[in-house]
Order: sequence, then C-alpha cells, then structure tokens
Amino acid sequence: MKFYLPAIQQMLVIAICGLFVCCCATAVDAQDGWGTLKGQVVISGDAPEMPLEKVDDHPDKSICLVDGELPKDDNIVVDENGGLRDVFVMMYVKGKGADAPIHESYSKDDEEKELSIDNVKCRFVPHALFVQTGKSVLLKNSDTVGHNCQVTTFNNECNVNLPAGDSVPVKFEKSDKIPGIVNCKMHEWMDGVVLIRDNPYVAITDGEGKFEIKNVPAGEWEFQFWHKKSGYMKKLESGTYKFGRKGQAEVKISNEGETDMGQLEFPTKAFK
Amino acid sequence: MIGPRIAKGCFNIAYLRSLPCFGNRLSCLPAENSSTKHTPNHPAKRTLKHAIAKLVFALTALMTLGCGETLPPAYKLNSVEFLRQEKLFLGSGEHFDDAYKQEIGSILTALFGTPNEPLVPALLGEDDPVLEVMRPENINMAAGPVSLDYHGKGGGLYRQHCSHCHGITGDGNGPTAAALNPYPRDFRLAKFKYKSTPLRSVPRDHDLTKVLVNGVPGTSMPSFGTLPDGEIAALVDYVKFLTIRGQYERYLMAELSNLDDGEPLIDLKLAQKYHQLAAIEQPTEQQEEELEEVEEQHLDSMWGVVGERLMEDAIERWVDADDNETEIPEAPDAFDSGHDGHRDFVATGRELFYTRGNCAQCHGDTGVGNGQIESFDDWANDWIKTPGVNPFNPKTYKTFTEAGALPPRPIKPRNLTEGRYRGGGQPEEIFLRITNGIEGTPMPATPALTSDEVWALVAYVKFLPYGDVNELPDRQINEKAIAR
Repeated sequence: MKFYLPAIQQMLVIAICGLFVCCCATAVDAQDGWGTLKGQVVISGDAPEMPLEKVDDHPDKSICLVDGELPKDDNIVVDENGGLRDVFVMMYVKGKGADAPIHESYSKDDEEKELSIDNVKCRFVPHALFVQTGKSVLLKNSDTVGHNCQVTTFNNECNVNLPAGDSVPVKFEKSDKIPGIVNCKMHEWMDGVVLIRDNPYVAITDGEGKFEIKNVPAGEWEFQFWHKKSGYMKKLESGTYKFGRKGQAEVKISNEGETDMGQLEFPTKAFK
Repeated sequence: MIGPRIAKGCFNIAYLRSLPCFGNRLSCLPAENSSTKHTPNHPAKRTLKHAIAKLVFALTALMTLGCGETLPPAYKLNSVEFLRQEKLFLGSGEHFDDAYKQEIGSILTALFGTPNEPLVPALLGEDDPVLEVMRPENINMAAGPVSLDYHGKGGGLYRQHCSHCHGITGDGNGPTAAALNPYPRDFRLAKFKYKSTPLRSVPRDHDLTKVLVNGVPGTSMPSFGTLPDGEIAALVDYVKFLTIRGQYERYLMAELSNLDDGEPLIDLKLAQKYHQLAAIEQPTEQQEEELEEVEEQHLDSMWGVVGERLMEDAIERWVDADDNETEIPEAPDAFDSGHDGHRDFVATGRELFYTRGNCAQCHGDTGVGNGQIESFDDWANDWIKTPGVNPFNPKTYKTFTEAGALPPRPIKPRNLTEGRYRGGGQPEEIFLRITNGIEGTPMPATPALTSDEVWALVAYVKFLPYGDVNELPDRQINEKAIAR
C-alpha cells in the first residue's frame, strides 16, 4: 500500500531530509563518541491480575485460543521477577534532544532490519513496536482467518484489510510524541501499541523488563518512560535518577561502554 | 496547577476588526512570499515575520481586553479534547490551568474570528495557500446570522441549514444531535467518510458537494440539492473552514503536555521584548546582538504554533486535494449484467466476500450487517480509548459526557441487502468504499485485492439486494466460511 503525499509535502520531506543529512554530517564530526544506554523496569507491589480477553463466543474463537485456552489481556505483562514488558524508553525530543546527532546505524535505508506486525492467534506480534518515520512496516497475517490492521496515532493512521496468510507493507511519515494503538476491528480484543517517531533513540522493554539503546551520542540527555496503562511514568523510582512530570530523567551517556540505569521500580498502583 | 500567566479577558471582535491587520483580511498583510499558486510555497520562518508581528499584536489586544459587553455567538472550546489531554498526560485529579483555555480561545479568535465575523487565516496575504482552499466571500456568505439582502441573496447559510445538527462550531453537537442516530458529523477530527481520496487524505470539493447535494441516505442528513450552486459552494468552503479550525484547536491542545510549568503556547512577553528592541532607532552593537538573539527565539516559538501546526499541518493538506483522487480502473466486461460471464463474475465476488475480502466477518454471513457489531467509530474511539474508560459502562465516562461528548454508540456494519448506500450506490462509488475503506469507521482499505477482485465484490454487493444467491454457480468456499 502506498501513501501518497501531496507535492508540497514531498518537497517538505525532501527539504527536511536534506537538512537532516547536513545536520548529521556536521554533528557526527563534532560528536564525541557513542555509548549504550541500558536498564530494567520492574514493578513494586502486586502484579495486577489481568482479565481474560473478551473473546466470548466469537466465530473465530477456535483459532484465537493460545495453547487451547483463552488468552489474557496482554497490556500489562510482568515476569516472575517483576520485570515489566512494553515500556517505551524514548529520548526526550523537546529542547536539546531535538538536535541530537543520529548515528549511521539508524539509517532508514537499512532493509535488513525489516519491521513487521504479525497477527498470530488473534494477537499482535510484537505487542509493542517502534517505527521510525519513513521506514516500511510489513503488516502480516499468519492466521487462517482474516484480520484488519488499524493503526491510529495522533499524527498517523492506516486501516488495511489482511486476508488470511497475506501481507501489506505500509509507511508512516509524521512523527508522534507518544505511542498510538493498533487494533483489529474483526477481533475487538486485539490491541497493540506502536510509536512512530523521527528520533531513533527508542527502546521497548523485553519480557524481563530490560531495555538497551545502542549508539546514543555521548553526553547528557533526557529519556522518557511511557507505558500504555500509565502514560508517562513519573512515579518511577530509582536511587540515582529523578523522574519529572513527563516521565523523564536526565542521563549522562558515557562514550566508553555502557551506561546502566540499573533497576527502575514502578509502583503498580500508578497504573490507570 | 500549571499554565501561562496571562491576563484574563473577554473576546471583542469589533476591536480586533479595527486593528490594521484584521480589519481587512486580505490587504493587510505584506505578501512577502513570492511564489505563485500551484507551486510549493512553504513559508520560510522569516517570511512569516511580519505576519507573526500582526498576529501577536492582535493577541496582545485580545488578552488584555476587559469584560463587559454582551457576547455574540461564540465557537465552543473543545472541552472533550482538553479533558482527554489531561487524562492522557496528567495524574489523576490533576488539571491544566484554565488559563490555557483562555489562551487557546484567544489564538483561535485572532486567527479565525467568531461565528458572526469569521476570519480566513491568510497570514501571508494574497499568496497564502489557505486562499486556494476557501474563498473569503464564501465564508462570509455561509457564516453569520441568517439574513437576506436587498437582492434576495442569502447570508448565514450555515446557521440556517446546518448548525442545529452540526453545531455552530462544527462539533457535531447542535441542539438536535443527541436525538439523531447516527450522530451528526463532528468536523474537528478532519475525517470524512464518503470521498474519492484515500484514508488520511482530505475530501475533494467534489466529494463534499456530492454529500450536500445528495444527502446521506439512511441518515438524518437530507439533500440540499435545491440550493443554488453558489450557496452549496459557500457551505463546502465553510465546512473546510470549521474543519481546519477544529483540527488546529486539537493540535494546540496536544501541545499543552509539551509545555513546562507556566509556559504559554505563544510567548507574548518574548514578542513584546522583540518589538521593543526592534523599535529602537539607533541601536548600540549590544542591542543589535540582543535583537538578533531575541528574534531567533521569538520566531522559533511562533514557528511551531503558527507555521508548523496551522500552515503545514492543518491547512496544507487541503491544497491540491484533487491530486489525491483515487483512480478507478474500468470494470471488466463481465461486470455488465448482460455479459455471458456475469453470473460467474458475481460468484467470484461472493467467494471473495467470504474469503480474502473478509467482508462476512462484519457484514455477516448473509450480508445483513450482523457480524462484528461491538466496534465504535473514530469519533467515539477518539476519547473512549482513554485509559479507564469503558464505552459499555457510562460511569467510567461521566466526565467526558459532562464535557460535551455524546454517549458512545457501537457502529453498525451496513446491511447490504437493503440496496441503500450512504456514500452513493453507483458502482464506482461502491468501488471506492471497498478500495479505500471508509475513513473513521472499522471498514478497512483493501490493498491486498486486485482491482478486478474489487469489481467482483462490487458486482456481488449490487447483486445482494435483488438477486437470488442460490442461483449463482457453485464455488469452492473454504470450510470456515461454510461453517460460519
């Protein structure tokens, strides 16, 4: 599927890209090394008991069972050690972050790192995804039933029909501030989350709550923490870092090896 | 509590009109942008300088005015979106400062005027792209109180024909709205269903005109086909005006969570400082340096709110809307009901209906619209997806209905056996609905189908109300479809 841009927008995109390249070129020269940011988000308090998905007696129920059982709502997933999955860790792009130099490994032409959102047993895989603007995302359907894949963010949108076993590539052109949602209107319980943004310094916590962002320019930057069920995670607690109203904390990225934020605790009562 | 520290006041459009910039909406602004129409003319930041100066002047006036006069009809603030932003970005029980409502109101009034005296936001003067989108004389004819001049020419068309359902603000919340099903359209989301352009592209004037002339069958939207062409064109322009205004308002509200404590959307103090420095006749070297610095900051801050959000995001997408028209390839010969292969072609459509078209999942096995029936449209989804809201439990969304949201209702998939089509029943119109999907609804686009396959679906959809499906040639339909 192709999203057509009016000529003016195309010109603008080209102009911005041009500007971008210039910025990068000069900034990279001046950039004093790159580092890796890592850490782990864990919950404090009892893990919330998630309800079963509202599959009810949907005609596709037999295909949507996971291991023969009704799946649980996967909007809050916590492992046995309290690791919280699907937290978005994003460089704060207001102020200084807006001009952060971009490392060459984040080139948008890299076709090897193809992104996709698959439909497997009536779940979005992955549940949470980060897409850089202008990069192609393959919307896939591995199920034997049809789905549609509707992405709705503040600035972007698509809604495509996905026949069983088929796939459709899409692109998003506008940068968002926070993640938006992915829905299937044929199976209302399916709800993923996607962030579309220009700035590539984003990570999503894995099953253990761990995150890692490689090739971050050395220096002081603010990083924001966001989860679908809490919004900005301003209640995060850490011995070292202070979190502001927008879930942001200042981190000094070292140009030698890794900068580890350690364990960041999130009180479960702060989920909305 | 956070919010900009600005003086509270009331709007006074008469005063605004008396300002040199806004009194005459076209000739007041220097047309610095030299590019001609139909070429990309993104205003560079500096091109905007003079325009911004005038805007700041008007804003300052608005924000320092006192109250006292009886207020004429006013555009309503989008309180639902304001509340949604609070719920999304603030902790429970926290609110944005009410001063932001005041500031957003002032910015919108300075740019768009009031229902009685609307302004076309042509900040760049005669070359402003917004003038390709709407004609000021049309806006004047559509807005204002209902009137008839000496020559029998009508004014206040929107208030006469539209506002009781769509509301004076175009928020789809006029006095009759709550009693209608479906609810009247809220233009502020900038989404339109029945159009010849893909999702996320604005409709062409042709599409809006068609809706006004034909009405929307099966809804409360009647035909306005008896109005003269000029009045229809005026209303089309005013719908675009209200849409752009409403979308820009949403963009402004989305900026609130980006601001620091007490930071206003438009920094008038900075603007004033800039103008004070600029007014110095023989500046010292130090003053010149300071001016340069302040100018940069001032233009930066205004660029985001006026240049990017208004000009690039809300207005630009309407320029050259015709370029986004979806091409409709010619239907295969078998689409013709007199063709020998027609019944087979319809049978192919039926097969697709149950298989790769995924139609039966929502429209039901017999096409009567009884498949997936718990979905909502985007006008409801816009706020019911806020954490904590359950659209099936009114207690969870009381604050939203109090702020003006209409209670959410699930959207019904269309009953295809009735032969009544909201977006029109011509084969080409149904082709567009299937190919592009229907914006704002669960109906998806079908990029995975070829145009011939879409035509086969159109043939089947046209066959459903009148034909006997049992007479169609047998086809291998997958087991699941039969089981359903």
